[in-house]
Amino acid sequence: MRAGNPSARTAPAPLQALALLCVLLLAGAVSPDAGDVPAEGPDDGMPVLRRAAEAADEVAYSAVREVTGEDGESDLLVRVVNRPGDGIALLPLEGAEDALVVRDSSLQALDDSLLSTLEDVYAVRDAGRDELGGRNAHLVEALRADGTAAGRFWVDAGTGVLLGSSVYGERGERVLGFRTTGLEMGDEHWPDHASGDEPWGDVLTGGEREELREQGWVLPERLAWNLCLVDARSTSYGDQRVIHAVYSDGLSQVSVFIQRGRLDTGSPAVLRNGYLGTGTGGSGVTPQHDTIPGGDTGRYHSVWQADGFVFTVLADAPAGLASSAVTALPGPEDSGFWSRVRRGMARLGFL
Amino acid sequence: MSRDHLGERLSALVDGELGPDEHETALIHLAKCESCRFEADMLRRLKRRLHGLCEPEPDHDFMGRLAGLSRDPGVGGGPFGGPPGPPPGSFGSSAPLGSSRPLGGFPGEVPAVDPAPDAGGRTSAPGRSSRRRTDRFPHLFPGFPGGRYAVAGIAVATALLGSAFVAGGSTEEAPVVEPRLADFALEHAVTSRHFTVAGTGADEVGGADEAGPAPAER
Repeated sequence: MRAGNPSARTAPAPLQALALLCVLLLAGAVSPDAGDVPAEGPDDGMPVLRRAAEAADEVAYSAVREVTGEDGESDLLVRVVNRPGDGIALLPLEGAEDALVVRDSSLQALDDSLLSTLEDVYAVRDAGRDELGGRNAHLVEALRADGTAAGRFWVDAGTGVLLGSSVYGERGERVLGFRTTGLEMGDEHWPDHASGDEPWGDVLTGGEREELREQGWVLPERLAWNLCLVDARSTSYGDQRVIHAVYSDGLSQVSVFIQRGRLDTGSPAVLRNGYLGTGTGGSGVTPQHDTIPGGDTGRYHSVWQADGFVFTVLADAPAGLASSAVTALPGPEDSGFWSRVRRGMARLGFL
Repeated sequence: MSRDHLGERLSALVDGELGPDEHETALIHLAKCESCRFEADMLRRLKRRLHGLCEPEPDHDFMGRLAGLSRDPGVGGGPFGGPPGPPPGSFGSSAPLGSSRPLGGFPGEVPAVDPAPDAGGRTSAPGRSSRRRTDRFPHLFPGFPGGRYAVAGIAVATALLGSAFVAGGSTEEAPVVEPRLADFALEHAVTSRHFTVAGTGADEVGGADEAGPAPAER
């Protein structure tokens, strides 16, 4: 281009404007929302919650626990019997199902991780005294950075037993929770016959997790800014290893089950564009990967395959949190030409 | 003699085909005639350059296409020994090597690059023919380096896309697995302490092994 060409002088201006626009768009794209940052605060409610965690391992009690959804109606009604050292027994009050005993000896570390994550993500405030089920309780609130409540806990003032909790969405709607009524001290309701279960015993250490990542397993320490890996376990079905990664913000839990392999070609997940999950309200099915957790009861699950692994996500969490967890993982495989080329580029290390 | 130039005898002189007397006479003429001396010098240079050219070995692809042409009944009887006057553009229809203008041009002419053959009346597929000749005699066709780069770039891009397509294929060696949603829901429940085992709705998705065997180890 010759120096005398007028366009030689005018060309940089649009380019500069375009570059400025790109910078502004990129800056806007990466800047977090006001609430997407850890909340600062004195966390004066943490001692109350730690006392509740200790009480679960020290106090024998029985009570009726109601698991509730968004509308506050009872979704599940069970009698809970806590016997320190043995675990916690669940006796359905309706139906003919057997009692289930969850041995909680391995859950203490998980509780500690959850409480630590809760303290990191939210401002945990002691909101004073309240009443739940006719008992005096400490009310503890987990607040977001914008001051809205993400969760509430009611801890019995006399015994320290956790009487109830609630999780709220970003619009303030109640997503899920439970409340305890008819609290009685002692374990006289402990069932004579019960099936037992406990978390998978092979707890993965940090070194083992790093080794798995080097072998291609997708096991990030965070799925989102507020979803931290709080626990990782594994088990084996024959020669097939399954990793259970537990992510939490301290209030809700997202379980990611990862196993190497692929789904059968006749699997509903494969037939439905590589993805299958719960629909609105946690019921039904939908093939849309990024809109699965759009329900309102907080219980979601989804199955898909990607990069030689099969992912299964189960979540008791608000819709936004579950959605961010699902979309943070590798998306379902597409059989299109360019998707395959892009996947190959990634495997060859170009992307 | 100096007025009558050597003409056809000049070529015979360079090739050493003149008799002793004619050879002596031609040398005397060259000593006197600058024009014939210049032409003889050019002919000697041309002869040296032609001798310097190596005989190119036909590659297998070329020989394969050659054999295909010989079997193709639509192409005038084959490249060699066919009936006179093969169709324009077919092998052998071009002028014989050496019949074109000499390298460097005639005396007094400014050397110029002419990538297209100027003899033989080629009317079809000139691009393909010239591309082959360009590849075979790159020093004869130095004027289109960009074209070679473009071809090389397309080849690299094609190879890259092909490699990525192959690498992006489904991992057939990966075993077929079926998520045991019932077990997963129980594991999720006992680690979350939400105790929603009965309400996980795992059976709604289908495809789960509801009554699958217990894990090998727990």
